[in-house]
Amino acid sequence: MAGRGKLIAVIGDEDTCTGFLLGGIGELNKNRKPNFLVVEKDTSITEIEETFKSFLARNDIGIILINQFIAEMIRHAIDAHMESIPAVLEIPSKEHPYDASKDSILRRAKGMFSAEDFR
Amino acid sequence: MEPSSCDLDEKLMHFMDQLELLEEKRASLNALIEEGWFSMSKARYSMGNKQVSSLQYASEIEPRICVHTQSLENGDVKFSTNKVTQKSNCDTKPVEDVGPQETSVRRRNRKMENTDKHQEHVQQSENQILKKCDPNPQQDPIKWFGILVPQSLKHAQSSFKQVIELSVDIASLQSAIEHSRYELWNDMHRLQIQGTD
Repeated sequence: MAGRGKLIAVIGDEDTCTGFLLGGIGELNKNRKPNFLVVEKDTSITEIEETFKSFLARNDIGIILINQFIAEMIRHAIDAHMESIPAVLEIPSKEHPYDASKDSILRRAKGMFSAEDFR
Repeated sequence: MEPSSCDLDEKLMHFMDQLELLEEKRASLNALIEEGWFSMSKARYSMGNKQVSSLQYASEIEPRICVHTQSLENGDVKFSTNKVTQKSNCDTKPVEDVGPQETSVRRRNRKMENTDKHQEHVQQSENQILKKCDPNPQQDPIKWFGILVPQSLKHAQSSFKQVIELSVDIASLQSAIEHSRYELWNDMHRLQIQGTD
């Protein structure tokens, strides 16, 4: 497993997960937990947050892809993640287009400048 | 060494360039993802709603694409994709031999003797076929949706493969941006302290 590299995890709606699994990033076997979570209407925020934290705790996940509307539900957990690995990437969903103003990385970049800094 | 205003300006310009590049890659990623969803919708339309859903996922899946991480000297992390080589190719099913195994002419009166042998042979063939047809966890995921899938589903797969490559690039860029932001913030803070002294 060390030779093959790290996994790409996905937390998204069914279409997002199906698409990325079609792309070949999925892992699911009897011994290990899956590296994806299909978020449905009845999926609780607690479950999403626990899955996100479990992905962060795993040392075999390099990137976490998450629909932005789901990221908004657990924004506090995403903002608290400051490590480089795993990288967290917010992606659009079918019903919710990507909004750069909500992205954690870009908000941090925007927040470091104020009018005072340019005087 | 104390940061000078010129160094700070250079770092700021570099940071802005990185943000601009991120915006461009994001726009490409969003467009590719939408293309993938559109192709999946077309496949769903021709195959049926439930035929392209999480119900079709295999019970055992192994990844075909992984990510390598490399920590650079400046503190950045670089991500790159790595295609996992298949361990064995069990996707091709063996050609099944149908018909009598004996080359000699069969005699009708020998039915009772040959029945047991034939049953044993059929059982062995079935066991062999069952073993060889065990689902391969590393098979192409498109095969979960059937043997003959519409072209739109293959387009969807191709789009999402490109999305994965682009996502890995964006992850590297995000790491570089975070590092630049941290350096810039530190230098600005030190320069401010210098200015007040």
